Amino acid sequence: MNTVKATLMSGMEVARALTRIAHEIIERNKGADKLVLIGIHTRGVPIAERLAGLIGEFEGVRPPLGKLDITLYRDDLSEIALQPVVKKTEVAQVHGMRIVLCDDVLYTGRTARAALDALIDLGRPAVIQLAVLIDRGHRELPIRADYVGKNVPTSRQEIVKVKLAEVDGADGVDLLELT
Amino acid sequence: MSRTIITNARLIGEQSLADLYLKDSLIEGVNLGGEVSHTFDAAGKLVTPAFIDLHTHLREPGQEVKEDLASGLAAAAAGGYGTVVSMANTDPVIDDPGLVTDLLAKAERLGLARLRPAAALSRGLKGAQLTDFAALQAAGAVMLTDDGIPVADGHLLRRACEYAAELGLVIQTHSEEPSLRQDGVMNEGTVSQRLGLPGNPVQAEAVMVYRDCELALMTGARVHIAHVSSRRGLQLIEWFKAQGAPVTAEVTPHHLTLTDETLGAFDPIYKVAPPLRTAEDVAYLRGALARAVVDSIGTDHAPHTRAEKDLDLLQAPSGIANLEVAFPLLYTKLVLDGVLTLTDLLHYFQSGPAKVMGWPAPSLAPGAPADLTVIDLESARPVTPSAFQSKAKFSPWDGWQLQGWPVATFVRGRRVGS
Amino acid sequence: MMVKHRHLLDFTGWTADELLALFDTTDVMAQVLQRTIKKVPALQGFTVSTLFFESSTRTRLSFERAARAQSADVISFAAGGSSLAKGESLKDTLRTIDAMQVDLYVVRHAAAGVPYQLARWTDAAIVNAGDGRRAHPTQALLDAYTFRTSFPGFDGFAGKKLAIIGDILHSRVARSNLELWTRLGATVALCGPATLLPRELEQPRLSLHHRLEPTLEGAQAVMALRLQQERMTSGLLPSLAEYRARYQLTEAVMALAHPNAIVMHPGPMNRDVEISSSLADSPRSVIERQVANGVPVRMAVLYTLLVGKK
Repeated sequence: MNTVKATLMSGMEVARALTRIAHEIIERNKGADKLVLIGIHTRGVPIAERLAGLIGEFEGVRPPLGKLDITLYRDDLSEIALQPVVKKTEVAQVHGMRIVLCDDVLYTGRTARAALDALIDLGRPAVIQLAVLIDRGHRELPIRADYVGKNVPTSRQEIVKVKLAEVDGADGVDLLELT
Repeated sequence: MSRTIITNARLIGEQSLADLYLKDSLIEGVNLGGEVSHTFDAAGKLVTPAFIDLHTHLREPGQEVKEDLASGLAAAAAGGYGTVVSMANTDPVIDDPGLVTDLLAKAERLGLARLRPAAALSRGLKGAQLTDFAALQAAGAVMLTDDGIPVADGHLLRRACEYAAELGLVIQTHSEEPSLRQDGVMNEGTVSQRLGLPGNPVQAEAVMVYRDCELALMTGARVHIAHVSSRRGLQLIEWFKAQGAPVTAEVTPHHLTLTDETLGAFDPIYKVAPPLRTAEDVAYLRGALARAVVDSIGTDHAPHTRAEKDLDLLQAPSGIANLEVAFPLLYTKLVLDGVLTLTDLLHYFQSGPAKVMGWPAPSLAPGAPADLTVIDLESARPVTPSAFQSKAKFSPWDGWQLQGWPVATFVRGRRVGS
Repeated sequence: MMVKHRHLLDFTGWTADELLALFDTTDVMAQVLQRTIKKVPALQGFTVSTLFFESSTRTRLSFERAARAQSADVISFAAGGSSLAKGESLKDTLRTIDAMQVDLYVVRHAAAGVPYQLARWTDAAIVNAGDGRRAHPTQALLDAYTFRTSFPGFDGFAGKKLAIIGDILHSRVARSNLELWTRLGATVALCGPATLLPRELEQPRLSLHHRLEPTLEGAQAVMALRLQQERMTSGLLPSLAEYRARYQLTEAVMALAHPNAIVMHPGPMNRDVEISSSLADSPRSVIERQVANGVPVRMAVLYTLLVGKK
């Protein structure tokens, strides 16, 4: 049973972080032209949806959305004890587009690497950027996020749990101790 | 001259333990006293005449990779058997008097269980031409049988019966009708349909048993029906016996203890001909023993190599090796479970087979051959195939906890085997 | 909670949920095969060996494609090649190939039970590609998957009816479909002449018939089985004409089934024997899709068994 050690972000703080990230995406990409937001299953998907909504509000143009399942690209299959559930990938146009991959937590970087491989197998994007709500450090690969909601130094015994209303009923980020 | 004393023997029918004396190759008597050259302490164990098996495949000549006289007769002794009738489906087939003589000579030199060879009923087991019954008998053959292969031609079997009747020879039949048997590898029924394996219906046995009994009745020949596996087959034999047909019935240890469900493991160790049948058949066979409708228990000891039994179920040869476990298996599963008394079970291993062959009933009376076995009825231990004398060091009863293990067997007054 | 299955020998021990999860994974695999790059690295580093003691180019290639599409390495062994000597014990054959560090065997053999025997002698996973007349689980899976994907708004297998017509006695396809569809909650009707329809197959959710009318009534999926020539010569059937007259699947006969019923066949077809040519080519026939679905279904099976193994 994992115990909650601390609350890293409240619901309000999550909302503000996403608003800021949406602005950053628009700024860095000089607008919403050719932008595609792709959420990495599971919690990357509602994050991408919210960012798309926010960008739509600010720019008047809502970028297209996609969902990416990276189970078939993972390199840590031996760590899967039970049967992993492979979800569908729904990505329309990739070629020549400016892709922003969205995920909840950036940790070792392996999920992001798998997402890059999956994306490149679907086509040839012009640019791939990475947006995450939390960067918790401990990278095992040379991967970095372009947009970060909050940087949180953690130990390997801790778990960062992101909650989103669409999936968990409420927004927030907790730090848990592995017990 | 040798004189052996077997001390502390429990003898059937005796209240207290006794000392049994053997002089040379005969039983001398009980509690006689005097000088002895050999001593064996039975320590309260049962001492009873050595068993007789009318149905063993010793695989020599030609198939020695599976078993040979030395390993087979040692296995017999380990199983409490003093006499075995060896089957003729070797390579070459025992269809020539010279081959009978050779076998007997070799067995004699080995000095293990006694060998009484059966000879083929038809030349080369081809089911076309009769062998020289009289010459084979003169060379020492005690029985004619094409066992392994059913005699498909009814006319040939009829003539064989007429001829054997005149010579006083027993004919043992493998009663399975080939055209009904087809390519079945297990009993045809619910299990075979579920397992998707070609089935061999009970009717293949029933139809052939009927034919063989009818010919026995017609000719007066002593026809011994080997390995009856089904209720249907046994009911027909009972009916014919009631009419005075000179037929006798044998059942095997595997048909008394295993069913077709065992094939669910997809292990050819359970592949045997005729096949293992249903629980109802097993129950009927056991009941038949209790009602004395069966005449003998024969092992149909049929060793094969481990590699052959590791082939797929269609290719693997049929046969179960069981000389060394037959008595303990049936003692545990029939006597200890209350289906049969010890005396009745012993009858099927001793006087029953003797009667089928017209041999004197085995006994421990003075002057009888000193063929006996010492059995530990009390200690339970698991079946351990790696310790078998037989070359077939695997068993469908591997690991079964059994009682009634023979611990020593004497043939012609001498202890045989280890 | 999903249990990790070591093998797919038949459907013993597989729950309906696990089987439906296989179909969900098949959807994803089908999607992969639609892309330009029809490959994922999911099984990179795994070695899959096809071990076909009974030859079948189609099925073997389908499995090999399924393995390669997930970046697994493939070793093929087929009967007739010097690598599978007749009379060599199964165990020895397996040991020789096991030495090449195979993770999964796809096995086809004429004798029922061989996959079970092999499973005793190796640590590798075993997928049964057909053993005697007993089982052919991936065929049943692709048949059921084809059914599932034939109806928009498919609401599940419960209450559906599958009719199979033909030589049931010798058919591992019939046995595996029977096992699978009843497990998923459907009912199955088997139909054939008395010599080819074993009564001992009786079980819940199964009905046995000798006439087409009760068999097809209400059936949403109708499958014809291939009738082999040997059945006529071995005394099981009088003649082809007799079989055709009583059991051939035609458009007219299909009027007895559910109006939306699909027509299936495990292949290869004997046109105008068990099925009329025109029915085989009609819009109700999903035979080509069955073949196409073989690869994604087998991809899902290989993935499910291998993932987490190393």
